[in-house]
Amino acid sequence: MTLSAQTPLDKTRVLMDLLHGCAQGQQSSFQKLYQLTSPQLFAILVRILKRRDWAEEALQDAFLSVWRNAASYTAQKGAPLTWLVSICRYRALDLLRREHREVYLESSGDEDGDAWLTEFADQSQADDFISHAEARALKRCLDELNEGQRNSLRLAYFDGCSHEEIASVLRAPLGTVKSWVRRGLQGLKHCLEAA
Amino acid sequence: MNYGNPKLRELLAGEYVLGLLRGAARRRFQRLLIEDARLCKGVVDWEGKLAAWNRNLKPLAPPDSVWRKLQVRLKADAQPREKPSGWPARRALWSGAVTLATALVLVVGVFIGRSLVTPPGAPAYVAVMSSAQGRPLWLISVYSKSRRIDMQALANNTPPAGKSYELWMLPGHGKPVAMGLMNSEGLASASLNPRIIAALVSAKGLAISIEPYGGSPTGQPTGPVVYVAPIVST
Repeated sequence: MTLSAQTPLDKTRVLMDLLHGCAQGQQSSFQKLYQLTSPQLFAILVRILKRRDWAEEALQDAFLSVWRNAASYTAQKGAPLTWLVSICRYRALDLLRREHREVYLESSGDEDGDAWLTEFADQSQADDFISHAEARALKRCLDELNEGQRNSLRLAYFDGCSHEEIASVLRAPLGTVKSWVRRGLQGLKHCLEAA
Repeated sequence: MNYGNPKLRELLAGEYVLGLLRGAARRRFQRLLIEDARLCKGVVDWEGKLAAWNRNLKPLAPPDSVWRKLQVRLKADAQPREKPSGWPARRALWSGAVTLATALVLVVGVFIGRSLVTPPGAPAYVAVMSSAQGRPLWLISVYSKSRRIDMQALANNTPPAGKSYELWMLPGHGKPVAMGLMNSEGLASASLNPRIIAALVSAKGLAISIEPYGGSPTGQPTGPVVYVAPIVST
């Protein structure tokens, strides 16, 4: 199946059909869903877990959970890809807590820690399910935050860091990090909803 | 914490999605999600807002082995009794827990012994399930004559939203054996299959995994193993 000519909205419908198929017990739907979304989900897991073997384990667990819980998916749970991303992320976070992973973050302390964010921002990806407009709005709003706020959110979201880990990576007091996170979230919400 | 304040709820939902709520705060939040549809919506909103960030990650195809292993697990899902053991080796966790739990058996055993209303003779086996930080969570006692197992919660051990804690025996050989669901608080008792009691002598220990609500659908652990403890013969 190729999705490259379709808009994110069409792709979202495809994913909904596939989830519906999974809920009916159709393995072919499950396989298609895996083919379409696993590269994106695997990238997220590798980023957060830093270890491929863990990411592979988490991906398996997440898809097994998708297969079992497909019937419970409704639009109330968000866009299908968001739902899949969340299942993967929570699975990865569980794994991190269980394994007490030591944090090592290759680019985290960099002043241009967000460089990768802009690097790919304009690249069009064939199997991308998220609209460019949404990604652009988020980037614009992230740009409005101060550096501490933005980096705190980034380290939590992409690297699974705790408040304490963020504090050590950014060399900032814990209280400051907690307030960066909260102000960052408030600012993001305000900006995204004003748009 | 004041969950009535809408602004704070909003922030907590955001922190939850970021993965910043940990331990008891996270469990409390997950418990609230069960009953609070508005809070659920807050979580879904944040998940949606932040998901766009992932657009910047370059997709990365997983190796084919992941799909093959997934197929095996799916098949096992359809035929519960033939499920291959997906039991993960956790020796490091295990060895740390052994010494700690042994020490705690003595301390907690004395403490709990007093709180039982009618002590039904001495248990044949005891085990203490502890958190990674060493906090005792359950005292598990097996009475071989009355074929009973007592699970005394030593803390408020609420499982994650929509999940149950399930107890497993790790026999000397072979796959884990289901021993039932754990209570989140107070004292719970259940009767035990004599075969399980007989196998406890040579068992490697007990373990608790997180399972779908109501317990593992396959008869084998399907979720992460969160606690393990050695069995102490009294």
